[in-house]
Parts: sequence; structure tokens; C-alpha cells
Amino acid sequence: MFHLAHRNLFQSKAKALMAMGGVALAFMLIFSLDAVLAGLEGRIASFIEKTGADVWVAQSGVRNMHMASSTIPRSVVDQVRTIEGVAEASPVRYLTNVIVRDDKPYIAYVIGLPEGATMGTPAKIAAGDAYPKPGEVIVDGALRQESAKVGDTVQILGSDFRIGGLAEGLASTLSSLAFIRLDDFDRLLGNASTTSYVLVRVAPGVSPDDVAARIEAAVPSVTASSTARFGGEERKVVRDMSTEIAVIMNLAGVLIGLAVMALSVYTTTVSRLSEFGLLRALGAARRHCYGVVLGQAVLTVALGFGLGLAFTYAASAIAPLVDPLLYMQITWPSILKAAGISLVVAGLAAIAPIAQISGVDPAIVFRRKVA
Amino acid sequence: MNAPTLSVSHLTKRFGTAATEVVAVRDVSLEVAPGEVVLIMGPSGSGKTTLLLMLGALLRGSEGEIRLDGEVLSALPEDKLPAIRLRRFGFIFQDFNLLSALTALENVAIVAELAGVRSKDAKARATKLLLDLGLGERLHFLPEKLSGGEKQRVAIARALVNDPTFILADEPTANLDSKIGHEIMRLLRSIAKEQGRSIVIVSHDQRIKDIADRVLWLEDGAFKEATAMLVDPVCGMHVEQASGIVAVWDDERFAFCSRGCRDEFLAKPYRFFADAEASGRHETAVRDVVRQEAALAGGRT
Repeated sequence: MFHLAHRNLFQSKAKALMAMGGVALAFMLIFSLDAVLAGLEGRIASFIEKTGADVWVAQSGVRNMHMASSTIPRSVVDQVRTIEGVAEASPVRYLTNVIVRDDKPYIAYVIGLPEGATMGTPAKIAAGDAYPKPGEVIVDGALRQESAKVGDTVQILGSDFRIGGLAEGLASTLSSLAFIRLDDFDRLLGNASTTSYVLVRVAPGVSPDDVAARIEAAVPSVTASSTARFGGEERKVVRDMSTEIAVIMNLAGVLIGLAVMALSVYTTTVSRLSEFGLLRALGAARRHCYGVVLGQAVLTVALGFGLGLAFTYAASAIAPLVDPLLYMQITWPSILKAAGISLVVAGLAAIAPIAQISGVDPAIVFRRKVA
Repeated sequence: MNAPTLSVSHLTKRFGTAATEVVAVRDVSLEVAPGEVVLIMGPSGSGKTTLLLMLGALLRGSEGEIRLDGEVLSALPEDKLPAIRLRRFGFIFQDFNLLSALTALENVAIVAELAGVRSKDAKARATKLLLDLGLGERLHFLPEKLSGGEKQRVAIARALVNDPTFILADEPTANLDSKIGHEIMRLLRSIAKEQGRSIVIVSHDQRIKDIADRVLWLEDGAFKEATAMLVDPVCGMHVEQASGIVAVWDDERFAFCSRGCRDEFLAKPYRFFADAEASGRHETAVRDVVRQEAALAGGRT
């Protein structure tokens, strides 16, 4: 019966392609959004994970950077340095703000690094310096994409900064990064006695989680997290923010796919009602006929699913060429979720046609003469 | 006569109730022997289709009984009938009714697969049937690429693929030209005679009388009243004198349901009379005074 479903589907190749194309586009919508969000999740914690720090110390209750604010006394740095297992500790100030170039604003994480910092600096430099001189900024992200060059001038918090270097591999579509010296940061914002975070490198062989626990025990009003945990929380924030959008877009994809599928399977079935009547007259059980309809729906969805996935892989390969910050990551959970959706869509799309053929009188093969 | 393949007893079908009741088939009885070809004719609205549907286990009668190979079909529950239709009936339709997406081979094989035959075996069985029917070059053609005669032969192969004892044919020659129609008729007759299958044909086509063992006339839901009709000495059927085929032998006028019966009679008339040899009647010359009605004319004298 599956053979008949296959032949029915492909008897009109144009119709089959249109149906599968529609379903493929619906699945591409689902896959693409998931891939973009997964890519964003993967990129959002790039800076955190490439700082070289093992532990992040923040204001009590702060466990990430994105949309968070943390202020702790800079004296905490010295306190942390005394804790067992800590090899190195360094302050880093952070603010989400805009960088203005040629009157065009770019949202960016502005990072203030102390002179000689070995943690929190850009991991990879495309041009210029890796560490900013006074009055200089190292940029990564949207600003760099828009042909910013070493030597250009940008404004941060109303002050001019010269671009001293171009970093890469840290920014995402959500934010760019701008590294300036800590003393420049203090000059712009004041409060030189505070820091946003303390970055900690632990001694060889020591567990970051153990050190984090010791820091929390020894230093009041701080929250210390291993870099793995801190990065995980950063991703979770993005995930939580995007869940509703993902649900809505997935639902849109499901509904589009369902509409295309239902219409396709329904019209194909209705146009062949007499053939289903013939099958029944010849002795096919109802389940055989239902199997043909369901087989056709499953086949259309499966092929549409495969095409949609292939299109998304192609899009993910092309996306960074169009926008290097756009990173699409197709994940197994996304594929499995879409596979589950495809089965539901196939089942739902087959309901109306099955209802149609359940009412077909096998005597339809002689109906011409009854009239 | 062997035990009948099909036995219909006092079959009636009513539609509607009370004032709206219509009796489509009225107290019809019929027996079809193995290898017998029975042609049912009648005007439009006579109940042929309703009778056909009931004979094919596609419609239940209101009263009466239908037996196929001794099994009472009319007593079987609804869910058993598809399997009966699949394995014990072969259907042949006026419009061929092939599945348009499948090739000739697949159209035949799918019916065997529905009956539980493995795909490979079903294809082998279908291939053999189609080869036997001269369609070896057309196995992988879609119906749209086949001529009317080829389509009907595919339909015949499909009807035979599950080795049924009983074949129902609905106007099998209606959409075919004269030559191809004649081929199909001969094919049906040889299937009946060589394979011992019973065939009931419902048709308006007078030419089919040539291959039928019996012709029945259905009118107003009942086989026409036998009074004022003659008995075919070969098959025992009542036939109209006016529209039948007749012969005179030994100064006695005989009517036949078909040319087949008449020819069989004329070959050795005395065979059909128990006392013919004793009375010397078999010496009598046969004077064939075949008279054809206008409908039977057209070169077929």
C-alpha cells in the first residue's frame, strides 16, 4: 500500500514538488529559527569562556553578564588573592552601552581591563593591538563588520576613542565588544573603587567550583561561579528570552506545514475517491485505504522534512558569508523536535482525507449506472 | 449439472419505506454452474445494477439468500465481505477502473498483495497472467498508455489474479470497438470453459449472446415471466419468441437464449430429448430457419 501511496504522490510531479516544497519551507522556518537561537546561545558566552578565567566573582546574586549589573568593591580583588587555590585575580569593569561611529550607534559590551591584564583580553586579534593604550579601544562585532579600521575614531560615553585593534570571534548578533583600559573606564564612569567582576585563575589541579565555594565563604556579599557555570547561566538568559519567540515561530511553521500538507493530501485523495471506492469494491479493507492516505502524508512530510533540513544546512553555510556575526547551529534536539512535529502534522493532515474515504461506498464503481 | 457456484434464492431488494418504498429487485432466483456464462440483459432501470451489487457482495438484499460455493454470503457480517470479494470474486468493469498511478503489472499485482501474497510472488503471478493475455510488452505501461482492449485485458488479469470461482462483469464490451469487444467476449468464454469459472455478465450488448450459455431478461426487478415464452432446450432458460433465436426441427419450433445454445442444439438436436433415439427422431433433418431480429442483424446472420 505504501507503494501505491508513493505512486499516487508522484503521479503529478509538479504537484508533489509543490507540496513538498511548501512543507520544506515550513520546516526550514522551524529549523532556521532554532539554528539561529542555538548559534546565538553558542556565541553569547564566547567572551566569558575565552577570558582565560576559571572563576567569576560578582555582586551577590549576579550569575551572568547579559542584561545584568554587578558592582563590588575593588578591594575584593585583594581578598580573593589570599584565598587558597587562587593563582591570580584581576578586576574587570563592564557596562552595556553604545559605541558611536560616524553618528551611527552600535550596542556593545564595554569592558574595562587593568593594565597588564592576562585575563579578559581579546583572544584573537585581526589587526592592530591586543591591549588598548590610553584613549584607545579594541573592537569586535558589528562595528568591525562595517569596515572600521585601526585609527578610526569612535565615541564611548561621549568621549572619543581611537580604534587600536580589531578583535574577532567574541561578538554575536546581540552585542559587539569594546575593550578599553580600566583607568579610562573609571574616568568615564567614576567609582574607581569598584569593579563589576573579579576574574580568577585557579592554581593547577584545583577545582574552580571548590575555589568559588571558598570565595563565597570568605568574602561577604559576592557570588562566585566557575566559568562553566557562569557561561551556562549566560546561555540560559538568552534561551529564556527567546523561548516565547521560538514557540510562536515554531507554531507558525507547524501551521503553515499543516495547511500545505492538509490541502495537498486532501485534494489528492478527493481526486481519487473513485479509485479508493474501486479498492474497497475489489476487497481492500478500510485500513488499507487509510494506509495509502497516511503513507502519502508521511511520505510528503518526510521528504519535506529532509528538504527543509537540507535548505537550512545550506542557509547556515551561506549565513556567515552574508553576516559573519550570524551563526546558525543545527542541533539534534531541534531535529528530533521537528521530526516529532512532522509525525503530528502528517497524522493531522490525514484526518480529513481519511474521513472522506471512510464514507466512500464501494458501489461507487457502478454508480454511473445507478443514476 | 454440477453443484452451482452461485445460487440466488428469492432475492429481493427494497429501498425506502412505506410510501417511498421502491422494489429494485423482486424475488429473483438464479443458479450459475461452474464454467457457465450467464448474460443478464434488461432495459435501463430494470434493477440490473442493484442485482449486480448484491451478487458482488457490495449490497445486502432485503430478503432472500445468496450462496457462493455453498457459503451463504447474505448471512456473513459486513466485515467479512471484503475478504470474500478479494479472494472469491473477480470484477470486470465497463470503464476498466484501473488505478491510474500504477502500471499494468502493478494494477494486477496489488490485488494479490491485498490478499496477503508477498510482493515478489504477486508480481510473478501478475506477470504470468498478463503474458497469457498477450500483454507481455505492456507490463510497465501506465493505463493512460494502453488501448481500451489492453486496459480491459489488464482488468481481466486483475479479476483472475486471486483465482476466483466467480467473475462478475459489468458491461465489459461497452467501451470497446466491435473487433476488440469480440476478442474480450471470446476471452471471457474461454476463461469460463477452460478454467471452470462461472461468469455473470450484465450488459446491453447483444453480441454477448454469442458467447453466453444463458441469457436472462430482467425487467422491473424480476426475470421476465416465463409464460408466453419458449424454453431453450439446451440450457432450459425461458426466452422470448419475438426477440430470440429460433430453429425448426422435426416440424417443431424451438427458441434459444443465444446463438451458442442454438449451435449446440443444431449440432445434435436429439441429444436434448430423452426419447429421440428410440422414436427415430434423430433421423429427422434439421431445417435451420434462423431468424434474427433487427437488433441482431448487422452482418451476424
